[in-house]
Amino acid sequence: MRRALTAGAAIALITGVAMWFVTIAGAQGGGTIEAEVKYSGAPQVDKLKVNKDTEKCGTEAVVEKVVVGGNKGLANAVVSVPGAKGASKAKAVIDQHGCKFVPHVVVMQPGELEIKNSDDILHNIHTYSTANPSINKAQPKFKKTMTEKLEKPEFVKVTCDVHSWMLGWVAVVPGPAAATDGSGVAKIENVPAGKQKIEVWHETLGKQEKEVDVKAGQVTKVSFEMKGK
Amino acid sequence: MPPTRWRATIATHLRRCLLAPPCGVGGPRLSRRLSAPSIWATLVALFRAVPVPLVFCASVAASLALAADLGTAQAQGDVKAGKGVYERKCLLCHGEKGDGQGAGAELLAPRPRDFTKGLYKVRTTANKTPADQDLFNVVTHGMPGTSMPSWEVLPDRERWNVVAYLKTFAPEQFKEAPKKLELPKEVSSSEASIKRGKEMFEAIECHKCHGTEGRADGPSRAELKDEWGHPIAPANLTKRWTFRGGASRTDIATRLANGVLGTPMPAFLDSVEKPEDIWHLTNYIVSLGPDRPTYATLVTVGSVTDAIPDDPGADFWKKLAPQYVPLMGQVIVDPRNFNPAIDLVVVRAVYNDREVAFHLTWDDPTESKGDGKQTFPDAISLQFPPQISSGTERPYFLMGDANEAVYLLRWEQGKGVGEASANGPTKLAPLTGGEATGKALFADGQYRLVMKRPLAAKGEARPSFRPAVFTPVAFQAWDGGAGESGPKMSLTSWYYLRLEEPQSNRRFIVPPVVAILTLAAMILVVRTANRAR
Repeated sequence: MRRALTAGAAIALITGVAMWFVTIAGAQGGGTIEAEVKYSGAPQVDKLKVNKDTEKCGTEAVVEKVVVGGNKGLANAVVSVPGAKGASKAKAVIDQHGCKFVPHVVVMQPGELEIKNSDDILHNIHTYSTANPSINKAQPKFKKTMTEKLEKPEFVKVTCDVHSWMLGWVAVVPGPAAATDGSGVAKIENVPAGKQKIEVWHETLGKQEKEVDVKAGQVTKVSFEMKGK
Repeated sequence: MPPTRWRATIATHLRRCLLAPPCGVGGPRLSRRLSAPSIWATLVALFRAVPVPLVFCASVAASLALAADLGTAQAQGDVKAGKGVYERKCLLCHGEKGDGQGAGAELLAPRPRDFTKGLYKVRTTANKTPADQDLFNVVTHGMPGTSMPSWEVLPDRERWNVVAYLKTFAPEQFKEAPKKLELPKEVSSSEASIKRGKEMFEAIECHKCHGTEGRADGPSRAELKDEWGHPIAPANLTKRWTFRGGASRTDIATRLANGVLGTPMPAFLDSVEKPEDIWHLTNYIVSLGPDRPTYATLVTVGSVTDAIPDDPGADFWKKLAPQYVPLMGQVIVDPRNFNPAIDLVVVRAVYNDREVAFHLTWDDPTESKGDGKQTFPDAISLQFPPQISSGTERPYFLMGDANEAVYLLRWEQGKGVGEASANGPTKLAPLTGGEATGKALFADGQYRLVMKRPLAAKGEARPSFRPAVFTPVAFQAWDGGAGESGPKMSLTSWYYLRLEEPQSNRRFIVPPVVAILTLAAMILVVRTANRAR
């Protein structure tokens, strides 16, 4: 009898603790969105001959305007949940490396962006923004990092006038967000459960929206088919 | 209130009004420290409380303050009146909507400013909003090196009014108050500062756009675009008089510190090693060229007795005084050249008993041999009448006409120096059998060329050069890399060229001989006179 009681108590305790953990996890994470962005049009990747800084930039510059991977997956698209809270507060970083912006699209929360120059040559960070103040600051070789504030949601084009082929984007989005990888997939974790508006944006193919029902602790799949402009 | 207290109040008011950044003077952005009613209140109180002289002083101060108030009212400008001025003076280029799409816009490079973006190149502010004074200065002084002229002919008030109207094209951009840019502590120019500036110039890679020697020939120059996607040229740092925002040291330091909005020129204030490097860079840039050229009115050809070097890079040429000749676009016949690439030729010239030599220097960002479609060979020519007459009659300056030819001593990339006879810009006939020679050097965005020819020439088509004769001369230049060829050129009207008379050794002999003879004569006279006594 005593044994049975002890076992019962133990089971109850374990169950309770387990329940508590699940609740915590649920409250913390919500659901996960796995978005798949497809594009059936032709990729648009321009190649240019480089006439300067070839030891840093290489002899051929690649401008990735539309990158399509295997299975028609569209890379460099930004999938976001603008209405939701709880996005990661990790510091966003954009690097100028090999005379390219790395990554091509940076996804960030309104706040600070760290701008790196790993090239040991002059770049100038030149943003074309309307909501945020536009920036055109030189970043000579000895200035390895700079920090700029981008406090308003906006998709900001970034260029370098010294190397005119350099093109990057900074997606300042208020909610949880991620950029699609080479196969067109973006995973957004910790999306609050419930109906959510999902937005996808691409630098040349524009925007699309969908509404999905996010379930706590589950992966919700959503797919987009971008159309050429 | 006891008189002492009153006096203290008055003193405070006066001090505020007279010593503090004055009431309204110096621009619309300064707050008015003392309002009109408070001045009057002070005055009334003064009459009651203090002796007359002080009242007099105070009334003078008050009227000054009121006048300043009035000035401020003007400075703030009247939008409605400004619209009228704008429509009369600015609309043709900047467009009715202020979008830079006026009727004349197509012909201009750089294109007229689009005011609807509220982006202004020249500003003394740390943020994007220019101060009203910045806009006023551009309207007043124009933009050197562009088609924007100075509007100093308009009364101040009209200029302030137009500034007020300009701001209405981009009301959003002017919501944020201008924030004054604080420049680092000024460093005056010195050899050490210029040296440091040069180091910094290299470290921050100014040459990428502006070129190693600052002649706007950097490797990125061809790629540069402005905010509107139009091609834009970097500044030629050796021609400070074409700097859009002015050539003073403060102007230059300000452009370096906060960049030139709407263009590729970035801000460097946070991107130099130490803040004062902004001033070292400024001092270096100032050292690259004169603040403005002294244009020649007469081209003088000096006389030498030795051989004249063929090499344009020889030290011989550096010792000769430069003569600056300005060039304009050819806009008389089609195709016209409204935006000429070459605006200046520097001439050095000498002759000896046998030949005459012209050393020409001009800036051109690319050495172009031409592909025949978009680019053409670079070229330059000196034009003379085929025969030098003593009268004032000269052939048509634009390379002659059907009736009267001109003689050209010209150089063309790939072909070298040659002579030609022309009856108009498209009717060139090479002259054969001449002895013209020459050599060109191209380096760092600059051509240096020596062209030589015998002084005397045979035949009707070539002039002979003689000392002390005013010889008509004109210049034409083509930047083939910028698509110039044929009538699309830069040119001058007729100038005069004069070969200095040779300076013989007689000037060292004759005066002393005359002096000695005079002295001898005087002594003789004196002696004779003495003897006579």
